[in-house]
Amino acid sequence: MPVAGLGPHGERGAPLEQLDLSEADAAVARTREFRVVVVLHTMASDWAKQELKGMAATLDSFGATMAEVVDCAFSVEMQIAALNRLVREGPDAIISIPVGGSAVAEAHRRVSRAGIRLVLLDNGPTGLLPGTDYVSVVSADNFGLGTIGAQLLAPHIANRGKVGILSYQADFFATNEREIAFRKWMASERPDIQLKAVKFPDVGAVAAALNPFLDANADLAGLFAVWDVPAMEAVHVLRARAQSLPMTTIDLGNQAAIALACGDVIKGIGAQRAYDQGVAGAKAAIAALLGRDPPPWVVLPGLPTTSENVTQVYRRIWHEVPPPEMLEQRPD
Amino acid sequence: MASNRQESERYSLVAVMELVRSGRAKTRLEIERQSGLGRAVVTDRLATLAELGLVEEGELGPAIGGRAPRRIRFRADAGRILVATLDHSTIGVGLADLAGQLRVEHYEATDVALAPAGALQRLDTLFDWVQEQYQESREIWGIGLGVPGSLDWDEVWLTESLVARHRAPVWVRSLVQLMTVGEFGVRAVAGMTERDFLYVELGDEITAGFVSDGRLHRGAHGVAGRIGHIAIGSSTEVCRCGNVGCLELMAGGEALVREAQKAAHDGRSRTLIQVLEASGQITVADIGFSARLGDAVCAELLSRCGQQIGHALAAVINTINPATVVLGGEVARTGDILLAAIREAVYRHATPLVTRDLRIIRSQMGRSAGLVGAGLLAVDALFAADRLGAWITAGTPLRHPEVATLLARVAREGGR
Repeated sequence: MPVAGLGPHGERGAPLEQLDLSEADAAVARTREFRVVVVLHTMASDWAKQELKGMAATLDSFGATMAEVVDCAFSVEMQIAALNRLVREGPDAIISIPVGGSAVAEAHRRVSRAGIRLVLLDNGPTGLLPGTDYVSVVSADNFGLGTIGAQLLAPHIANRGKVGILSYQADFFATNEREIAFRKWMASERPDIQLKAVKFPDVGAVAAALNPFLDANADLAGLFAVWDVPAMEAVHVLRARAQSLPMTTIDLGNQAAIALACGDVIKGIGAQRAYDQGVAGAKAAIAALLGRDPPPWVVLPGLPTTSENVTQVYRRIWHEVPPPEMLEQRPD
Repeated sequence: MASNRQESERYSLVAVMELVRSGRAKTRLEIERQSGLGRAVVTDRLATLAELGLVEEGELGPAIGGRAPRRIRFRADAGRILVATLDHSTIGVGLADLAGQLRVEHYEATDVALAPAGALQRLDTLFDWVQEQYQESREIWGIGLGVPGSLDWDEVWLTESLVARHRAPVWVRSLVQLMTVGEFGVRAVAGMTERDFLYVELGDEITAGFVSDGRLHRGAHGVAGRIGHIAIGSSTEVCRCGNVGCLELMAGGEALVREAQKAAHDGRSRTLIQVLEASGQITVADIGFSARLGDAVCAELLSRCGQQIGHALAAVINTINPATVVLGGEVARTGDILLAAIREAVYRHATPLVTRDLRIIRSQMGRSAGLVGAGLLAVDALFAADRLGAWITAGTPLRHPEVATLLARVAREGGR
């Protein structure tokens, strides 16, 4: 699937293959025994776990150590404190997913200024520049994922229906891109559909935001959630209200994948290749440490996933056998 | 008598504001010294500006015999600027503070043949979304927009449509000039002190912006910098400008892709054949990547392209004698082979006097330079000395008499 979006500075995305290292480079990397620290927004999501697996396997293949994994629990303060500490400790490279956009830009800049190679996942905080402040942003084609979310939801919405967007009220490039793309596709291909956003500041607040929204919009015909964890919160909210709405979301997390296989609420998912993104993040870090010049934005197209192909997509992106609950619903 | 006093107060308010905003004065003492105003007047004006939300006190500065002075800072957070850039392939939008720092930026591909109304509608939608997502309780004080010099849209219609929809003054400028302002501005913040600077955008079009003694050179009609139409050779192919041998026709992005396609069809480059088979097209980025992988044909294409560009740039550099040349755009992003070829040609063809300390480097800002420049341009226009006096006592430029008149007129005429 071609890449639809542009990067944090309007870059065209480079494919994963542009990070391939020669065998000679790999041999040099193994002698250098690089130390790499990973800083994540959460360890709770399947996305994060898959990214870590991809990173760990790749770093290991280049003789590098994943010295630490920091879970920032979506907290700007925690991430800033962790990065400041790491600047003092001085690993060779840091792979980080910035949790707060411009709020954490300066802390990330300090990492680069300290000579630590910095690779960013998913977001390039506004104000940070490739080359000077970071090596590379590795992300999914978030714009493409939002488009997939719209394409897979539209067939389930009758003419002139109303669709809610469960929108993350945070300075986060990835979710911004998904929402903009979702809206753009809908405006272009289904201008009859009315869109209304319900914003949540954090995952814990989804129910509190969604319940009144559902009360105020009894005629809602569908829902799009910008990633799978709030999507599953929304599924629980709907179940508690004995309500059913077709939904689409992004990320083929375990729970969302099983729900998709069951085919009741979740109708489609734009799946990120989280494991492969982890591989790319690790390769970009190693390439930078070897003095190579990785592209400023490496992007992996998403995979449109429905109940029809969920088990195949699951195998492809998780590199694992799908869980039994999924195979029961959707045997290979 | 009363109005002389008010005029004098306004004059000193503007003077203090500008000293603080420019960073030339960081403490009360520095303001007193540089403005020649007495302590009581400076204290009073600072209090007024603080009440208006335009300045704030910061951390303590170093003490020089006596109490440590408190730093005085311009409150870049007092308002917001909507910024946007349009070129033939991309729309960029963002939200900037009054120091030109971007709060958010978004880019998307646009249909090359997009009619003005469609592009404007998309711009409005994105501006609305940005304000909805970044509800920061700050007024939009202005809009800065960069468009290609070759775009032949009705600028008055574009400007008034944006004013009507977003209720703020609008400044439209040549995109490459805004990118120049953005690149130059970011370098200045980083402490680079050069005042003569050339930015060159290398894409399908080749354009440039010049900063001379710290000021952007715009030209008589605001379209200075069309260096892509410098003739560098003879050719029967006619440029869209009507001439032959234009630089961008011979060495722009389209020319590179054309040559690469020929090489693939002739079977001269295995890598390009593979690219064509995989995706059905060859892009400038593909040529750069193939060269980095060791493809000799792509390396040669980029080297030749760089030589041609460097040769033309040598003439420009001989003429304007910049301290630094920054190269941006898709063709510049292909990598070191092109950069080396450009440098080599410049050093060969320009006189030693102008190249002695010359730096030729690649931009790191990508398309962000245009958005940053749009923000800086709008803020400079809002705070220009001849404009600032008319709104400073209201604390917001939206209460400038001309802005009020503009908004009323556009509303009367019905926008679009």
